[in-house]
Parts: sequence; structure tokens; C-alpha cells
Amino acid sequence: MVKLLLVSLLIVLLVSCSKRRTVEGQPVRILWTRDPESLDPLVTPNQSAIDANNLLHLCLLSVDYSTKRYAPALADSLPKVQFAGDSLTLVTYHLRPTATWDGGRPVLARDVAFTLKLMQVPGLPNEANKAQFGFIRDIRFDPTDPRRFTLVCNGQAPGLVQESGDFLILPEAALDPKGSLRPYQLGALNDRAATAPADSILVKLARRYARANLALYPGRIPGSGPYQLVRWDKDHLLRFQRKPHWWADALRPAPPVLEAQPSELDFVIIPNEASAALALRRGSVNVYPQVPVREFRRLQASAAARQQLAFYTSLSYDLVYAGFNTRRPALSNRLTRQALGFLFDPKALLLATQAGLGQCTVGLVHPTDTRNYADSLPPLALDPARAVALLRQAGWHRESTASDTFWTRQLAPKTPPQRLTLLVRYRAGETAFETIGLQFRAAAARLGIAVELRPTENASFSSALQAGDFDVYLRLLKGNPFYFNFAPILHSKTVGAGNLTGFGTPASDRLIEAIPLANTLDSRARLLRKFQRLMREEMPLVPLFFRPNCLAADRRLVHLYPGGLKPGYAAAAIKWTTPVVAVP
Amino acid sequence: MDHAGGRRPVAVGNGIFRRAGRAALAVWALASLLFLLSRWAPTSDAALGLTEPTEMQATAAETPGAHQLAQRAARQRLGLDVPLFYFSRPVAGPGQRPGWHWNGPRNQYHRWLGALLRGDLGTSFRDGQPVAARLATALLYTLPLTGTAAVLALAVALALAAGLARGPWWRRPALAALAGLQALPLFVLATGLLLLLANPDALNWFPTYEQAGAEDGLVALGACLLPLACLVLGAVPELALQLEASLAHEMRADYAVTARAKGLSVRRVVRRHALRNALLPVLPLVVDLLPALVAGAVVVETIFSLPGMGRLLAEAAATRDYPVLVGGVLLVGAARLLALLLADAGARWLDPRVS
Repeated sequence: MVKLLLVSLLIVLLVSCSKRRTVEGQPVRILWTRDPESLDPLVTPNQSAIDANNLLHLCLLSVDYSTKRYAPALADSLPKVQFAGDSLTLVTYHLRPTATWDGGRPVLARDVAFTLKLMQVPGLPNEANKAQFGFIRDIRFDPTDPRRFTLVCNGQAPGLVQESGDFLILPEAALDPKGSLRPYQLGALNDRAATAPADSILVKLARRYARANLALYPGRIPGSGPYQLVRWDKDHLLRFQRKPHWWADALRPAPPVLEAQPSELDFVIIPNEASAALALRRGSVNVYPQVPVREFRRLQASAAARQQLAFYTSLSYDLVYAGFNTRRPALSNRLTRQALGFLFDPKALLLATQAGLGQCTVGLVHPTDTRNYADSLPPLALDPARAVALLRQAGWHRESTASDTFWTRQLAPKTPPQRLTLLVRYRAGETAFETIGLQFRAAAARLGIAVELRPTENASFSSALQAGDFDVYLRLLKGNPFYFNFAPILHSKTVGAGNLTGFGTPASDRLIEAIPLANTLDSRARLLRKFQRLMREEMPLVPLFFRPNCLAADRRLVHLYPGGLKPGYAAAAIKWTTPVVAVP
Repeated sequence: MDHAGGRRPVAVGNGIFRRAGRAALAVWALASLLFLLSRWAPTSDAALGLTEPTEMQATAAETPGAHQLAQRAARQRLGLDVPLFYFSRPVAGPGQRPGWHWNGPRNQYHRWLGALLRGDLGTSFRDGQPVAARLATALLYTLPLTGTAAVLALAVALALAAGLARGPWWRRPALAALAGLQALPLFVLATGLLLLLANPDALNWFPTYEQAGAEDGLVALGACLLPLACLVLGAVPELALQLEASLAHEMRADYAVTARAKGLSVRRVVRRHALRNALLPVLPLVVDLLPALVAGAVVVETIFSLPGMGRLLAEAAATRDYPVLVGGVLLVGAARLLALLLADAGARWLDPRVS
């Protein structure tokens, strides 16, 4: 019996180890660290979901990874923009005449209108879309051309134009065959109060949408994108197959945003970084995006890995920063915050936590954005002497006892002096933040400032920050090169929500409100530079550095377009250079 | 040995019924406590399907209050806007005395309990899928793996303990090796096996699960060998050491010495006499495998990229996907209570003197 068992195990092992892949139609296997969870086009819970949905459906405009600009996707050209009065922008699009849904039905302006209205229908998981696209107030059709339409947008910011085309278009015929949403005005749906009585048509539509369960079965509606999902093993694997006849194949020359090279794209989910690196080395995956720096360096150091893999680094839009709780009396004074800002050593931290990859920054704007980056500001550096001078200027006094040195300040007459001690919170288990905390604590200790580091469990971290239970926090801010809206994190109206620092002055609020509304790029650049100077002066946040984006991929792959924009590569553009030999 | 005529089966039946009732009550209390505690904590933006404002620069058109509005709407859709329990203590306004407020049946707990009684564990906050379906899918991966591992671990532990009880020359090194293995954290064991046996720079002998899927049959089975080995190696030392100690104790007992004196071989004494008695103290460890079967092994599933229960629950906890978390804990809690019932029954079977 035991022998039989051993022989069976051996057979299983041999069969499984000797599986050969076919040369024809070799898929590109990309590593994801987490499952998309939902492929509902209205819900994008994480980056994997965004990437997957972009293979199934298309937007009017998409980011061209070769130029890092928005380019027409379903639209046949960039939109025509017209300002109306002093508060509206009219954005006119024309859809590509060849664009069709699976099955051959053309993509029309009606589909765009339906999608915009669907994003406002109550009872659907569309809250994020509502917040993001609520500025599109109306859609006007061209009676002579079913593919031409004009979006009426609130505001006149340059960013609105890109944003007005950055949502996935869904087919009206599949989700609302009777056109029940057509009589509704987009603006009316937008303004509909949460307490408004239920509308039977909208309820019916929401139920029909929920029944379709697109979160799990995205193939139940036709898409306009180049791929279809053929397999989804939750938390393990997603397989997308190239449509044999996709409408954009007829376009000559093929626009870069409509490239779809791999016949099959596999996304393999491996949450553990050591297992992920091994999978890349074994050839089980061909592309490993956002490789942790430590693994990236380890792979680069291996001669065998260098022969097999190509390594790419670029600057991501993920900013590592420290935030002060300005509601605390000790930190309400900007001189104190400035002083503490000089206790961080961004250069050394970049070296210690990111192996020198990435880049230090003077503000929240990306250093590669030469138009908007405040290059006149000196980079922040560790300067304890300056910190001491600023603390004294802020009214703090250094006192010493036989065993201790500390800083105190008299806030009001006849009150006990206030002692400068700091509680620093960061997400537990993140070694980069731990290193930053330790460096800050060491620098502060040399001056006699007591710092308590408190790594906090992920779920409790956000609650603690929102409750204001911290003095300093260390965190990541994910950005992008297109939008400059700092209201959710620094406006006084968002204190208690996204504005964790509690900072907000009338001057900063005015500036934050003015930046997205600036109607020329030059005026926006002036405002952004002014904003960065103001933030340096007030220092509610200490921007430390932008993280690198490290990508490792099979050497035989080309057209990855590695870059700082998420996901850091263009999945659909990837090509095998040489014929692929069978891999054991 | 008369058990009072026909009353004995009735008494046993009543006993089982009472125990099952107590177990059900305990499961309900556990689930209610978890539900209330989890809902008491604020729900994260990720659980509401929103991007955290602190994690992403907002788009150009988003107004300062838009995020709060979206949060409110999402909470309303998920039924998180109604009170948590039948009564609450609202924050008193200036000049008001704090007091209790009766909320009636329009509360989250009432709705959850009603759904639970209908067999509905709710839907996941993250993907909107029924919790029962998510748990079932994860169990499909977990149970075959952990079940096989449990059976193998038990068999290996029994064989090892029986072998060691005979006092062979390799007893000491084997005990030392088992103690060493027991001291090794599971993640070290799993990573070690992976780096040693599925690594192109070392021995690339075993396939791993990312190369296969459920439908890949033998490949998937082959890919499970390393996680299986890891789980078995993780479970065997404790079982084998306890069983060995228990067997050694039994072998010193009078009845075993008498049996040896009558000329029975050690192997026969172990098998026919000592093993059944030696199992009694090890029984809690054995039945503890049952909840572990259901809960999966987070570490092994993460390192070997297996989409099982352990990973599902760990991720649900990290993202505050409470319906999945409560459903999972309910299932594991039920398995643990079942294990306790089985332990009772097993103990009575092994030693009828146990009341």
C-alpha cells in the first residue's frame, strides 16, 4: 500500500514537472499581488481591477504610455473645447466610426449618455463615479451624427477635458434594451437627493444591473475592448484572450492606445514577494511589476537572473511624506513644524529604504513636472542646528535635569509649561516607514525631544489618523501627473475626513480652490509653485521622496513602456521578440 | 454492567441534544459579539468601494465635500446608516443629558440575524458576492489540502510514536529532530522548502501553484506537494512528541509490563493495549485539527499562492470586509465547537469511564 502510494506520488510529480508549454500562442504572464475582487465597470476597488477592466472596455480617452499623455481611444480625436460663460466648459467628442461592441453593434453617443446616467442611478455601487464625474451636467447629441456629442461640464479647469473622457463606456443595448433611462436628464439624476422617493424605473434598472453580476461575470455584457475574460480562479489566475476580430484591427496606423499584441494575457496572483521573485526566475510569470526594491536589487545581483531578465526603473507618483497634527497645541505653530521638518534626512532615507532609487522632492508636485515643480525651493535636509534655532524662535526652551533633556514652552501665563513630546504613527509591517520613524526619533533624541514610535495595524491606522490620535504620521500619497486637486487632503473643509493634518487657512484654501480652476497651464503653474512655497512655509506635511517603480521582465519581451504611471507598464502592447522555446 | 435497562440511549440522546444546544448558543454568542465589535469600528473607504482621499490626489473636478457625500451614499447602500443594535446611546448635545435610545427592529444586528436564520451570511463589501459562495470556493481549495495533510500527519505521527515506543537506537536523534522541527516557525519552514525545492538557483524539482489551476488536474496536484509537505511537517512534531510521551507512560504501566511478561512483543503491546489508552491525552490535539482544516493555513496559502480560506479571512480582516470575516469566523467557530463535541465523544469511546 505504501509502495503504491509512493509510486503514485512519483507519477504525479513527474507528470506535473514535465508539462511543456506550446510554442504557438505563448501567453504573456503578468504578476499581480492581489485579485481584482470585482470586475464591475462601475467599481474599481484596486489597481488590478482597473487594469482588467481596461482590457474589456474602453474610455473615450486613454493614457498613451509612450508619451504619458491622454490620447483618443473610442473617440476619433482629442475633443474640441469651448468655454461657455464663466463657469461651463463644452467638450465635443466624435466616436470612431469603426468602433463596435462584440456582435457588431456600433458604439454611439447614446451609449456614452447611458453610461453617464448609469453612474448617477441610485442603488448601484457608483458612489465613487458620482463624486468623480458629477461635474458632467448634460450631454447634447448632434442630430446629424449619432457619434457626435457635447458634454456640458461645470468649471473651466484644463484637467476637466481629460477627465471628461476617462470613464469606461458601457453598452446601452445590453443593460437597458428598452432605453428606460433616455427620458431622464443627466443633471436631474445628478441632483437627485438621497432622500428622494424611489423611482420604479430606476429601481428596476438597478435590479437588472445587480442581477447581471458583472463583478463576477463581466462577459455578460459586450465590451469594446480587445480582450475577453476566459478564466478567473479567484485569488489565483485571470486569463484574457484576444478577440480574433476586434474593430480596432482595421485602423491604420494602429494608435498606440489601441494596441493589443498578446494573444493571451494571464494575470497570476502571488501575494508573497519571495514567491513572486521565484516565479519570475522559474518563468512561471514573465512580468513582475512594482517589485519591492530589496527583491529588485537581489534579482539584479544574480548573474543567472541578469541573463534571463531585463530590469527597468522609473520614478513613480507615490510620495512618501510625514504629516503633522496641527490641531495639537505643540504643533499648531508653523515654526515648530518647520523645526521638526529639519529633523528628517530625505537623502539618507531614500538610500536606506529605496536603495537610492526614487527621488527627493521639495513639494507635492512630481520633480519631473518641470512646468509646475517649485525648483526654486531648496531641498529639505537634516539640519539640527536650524531646528534648534527655529524651536527657540517658536518659544521653546531646552531644559536639562541630571538624567534628561527636554523642551518646554509656556502656552499661557500661570499654566504649567508644555513639554515637546511626539507620537509617530505609521502602518505596522512597513519597513520603509519604520526606518523613517527610527531616523526621525534618533535625530530628535539628539536634541532632547522624546519621540514614541507606534506602528499601527492597517485598519486601525486610518481610524487613529481620522480621530486625530497622533502627532506625526508617515504615509504614502498616490498621485498622478494629470490632476492637481489638493482639497481632499489639505482644505479646511475636509478636516476630519481626508485632511488628517487639520491644516487650513483662508489663504491656503483659496489657493487650493484656485488651482483646479486655473484656465491656462501657465496660470496653473504659477499657482502650483506658489502653493508649494506656502506648504514649505506652513509645513503641515513634509514631502520626503517619490518612490521608484521597479519592473523586472523576461528579456524577450519588448514594448513594455515602463513608467511611473500605474500599473507601470502597458500590458496590451507587450510583444515577444524571438520565438519562444518550450519551457519545462 | 447493566445501564438501567432502556434508559441509557435516551440519556445519551438527551446529553447530545443538550451539548448541541449549548454549542449552537455559543456559536450564536460568538458570531453576535464579532458582528457587533466589527461593525462598531468605522468602515474603511476600501470596504465602501471608495478610494481613500489620503491615498489618491483627487481629480480636478472633485469638490471638498464630494468624498463625504460618496461615503454617506455607500454606507446607505450597504445598510450601514441604520443604528447598530436595538438600543444606542446617542452623543448628547450641549445642555442635554446623555440617555439610551430604543431603535426597534430597524437596526443592523436585527437584519443580520434575520438573514442568518434564513441561511444568508450576507454579501462581501469588496466584491458584492454572497459570503457563502466565497467561503465555499475557498473551502474547495483548503479542505482537500488541509484534510490530506491532517490524515497524513496523523498517520505519520502514529507510526513514528509507535516506532519510538519500541526504543530503537534512533530514538534520541529523532526526538531531537522533532523538537527542532516543532520550534521552527511555519513561515520559515514554508519559505525554506520553497527556496530549496522550487528554486532555479537550488533544486527546481517541484512545480508551484501559480503554474497551475484547479482545472489543470495533475499539475495542480503536483503543485500541492510542497504545501502539503509543509503542513504535514508543521503538524507532525507536536502530535508525535505528545503521543510518544503518552505511549512511553503507558508502556510503564502495570498492564503493559504484565503483557510483556507474558511474552507479547513490544509491537503487539503497543498496538493491542497501550495505543488506545495513549490516544486519550492526545485527543484534544487531534480534534483541534478540525477547525484548522476549515480555517486553512494563512502562512502556507500566502507563500505558496493558494487561494484558500486562510488567505480569504486574512485579506477580509485587513480590508475590513466584515461580512466575509464574520461568516468565516462563524464557520471556524462552528467547526471548533463540533471538534469539542467530537473530543467528548472520542474520549468516551476511548475510555468508557469518562462521564
